[in-house]
Amino acid sequence: MSEILLIEGLRKKFGDILVLDGIDFSVNEGEFFSIIGPSGCGKTTLLRIIAGLESYEGKVLLRGREIKGPGADRVMVFQDYALFPWRNVIGNIVFGLEVKGLKKERLLEIAKKMIEIVGLAGFEYKYPHELSGGMKQRVALARALVCDPELLLMDEPLSALDAQTRLEMQEEVVKIWQETKKTVVYVTHSIEEAVYLADRILVLSKRPAKVKKIVEVPIKRPRNRFSDEFSEICSKLYNLLK
Amino acid sequence: MRFLTIISIFLFLSFWEAFYWFFIKDPFLFSPPSKVIPTFLRLILGQDPSFYLPTDILYSIYHYFLGFFTALVLGISIGLLMGYSKKTEALLFPILELLRPIPPIAWIPIAILLLKLTHAAAAFIIFIGSFFPILLNTRNGVANVEIKFIEAAMTLGAKKKDVLTKVIIPAAMPSIFTGIRVGSGVAWMCVVAAELFGVSAYGLGYQIEIARLYHAPEIVISYMLAIGLIGMLLDRFYRILEQKTLKWRRGLVFE
Repeated sequence: MSEILLIEGLRKKFGDILVLDGIDFSVNEGEFFSIIGPSGCGKTTLLRIIAGLESYEGKVLLRGREIKGPGADRVMVFQDYALFPWRNVIGNIVFGLEVKGLKKERLLEIAKKMIEIVGLAGFEYKYPHELSGGMKQRVALARALVCDPELLLMDEPLSALDAQTRLEMQEEVVKIWQETKKTVVYVTHSIEEAVYLADRILVLSKRPAKVKKIVEVPIKRPRNRFSDEFSEICSKLYNLLK
Repeated sequence: MRFLTIISIFLFLSFWEAFYWFFIKDPFLFSPPSKVIPTFLRLILGQDPSFYLPTDILYSIYHYFLGFFTALVLGISIGLLMGYSKKTEALLFPILELLRPIPPIAWIPIAILLLKLTHAAAAFIIFIGSFFPILLNTRNGVANVEIKFIEAAMTLGAKKKDVLTKVIIPAAMPSIFTGIRVGSGVAWMCVVAAELFGVSAYGLGYQIEIARLYHAPEIVISYMLAIGLIGMLLDRFYRILEQKTLKWRRGLVFE
């Protein structure tokens, strides 16, 4: 498996406050990579740096190219979805294709396919305020996926959902990941979610954050949340975070 | 509901009529609706020998559009620039803060001196009145666009131009529309004020003053009615335009 993202000696300061203190790790192509850590430790900042939304010191390379700013090769899915309220579902989904300059027919064709994949059929002409949280997250996911990014960055995307919808969406995310074969970097504060979703989990320490450990999850999918190996990894992570 | 509207209009006209016959009773000072309504109909049909209401309406609307559209174009574009770039804001803000509190009416003498009694002079006053509400609302709308929308757009590959046209402008649209409606209201008031002060020798405001000199209150009041009706129609127009353009806000703000 080849390396798609390489991070070395990454440091980040907000004014005088050191947030990230020498982070090193790499993400492999096609991998589902998760980042967990205590709240306020800088998980989101780390993801925003990869997205190109923050300045940084150190090395952050996507396929060997230095990351200098935001771009459609690393699309971010935000915690509060950040859907454009003035665009309906289709309008939101085609945004990335529109700014790429695609023709209207081609654009709608791709959007239609994506709407099938994420299960939004019948909601094409609804506006974001008419959708439930789970539906909004599906739109955000579809909007990111149509750009065909090399990296899909997800910042606690399911944390605003109720418990039931959250479980459903976790399954959905795995399904979509398997279908699209994207490389995913997924920030979450839920240990269980990380173990359910990820191939490998990066555990960050308290601020200023360092890499505490990278834990592999060698469980076959579909994963059973109640199996012994599942809870074993959960408790291992729990102890690391304590 | 319709019944209540009829009652309310009927009561209003009765009080007006009674007020005239009990307290004024002088046709050179004030008129009851029984006199104003026929006068208004005669005027609107153009049957009065010295006052031709349809032409005056056209002149006033002409002044309104001339001034208001200039304000619309300049107000929105400068407002976008100010909201978008901190440098432009720093450059223009102090001057605008000084000019803004000067009431449009205070510009009338200068308008007459510079532009004489022309349509341009009237349009200038209207421009001054409507420019600031449009400018400030546009600027605030742009400055208050949530950063998350801009960031989301950028990670989806949007360039600076896309961020402006596909994020900032649509996100600021509700605020821009508030500016347009407030600006239009002020503009219509300024039409009457400018014409009343004689900046232009035509229009509804000008004729009101002429009718006063004739001691014809029924004509004064008829012209006032026309001003009110047109102002109301203009506001309706922008309200409908706003609801059509901002369909996505339905359920959030409207209803």
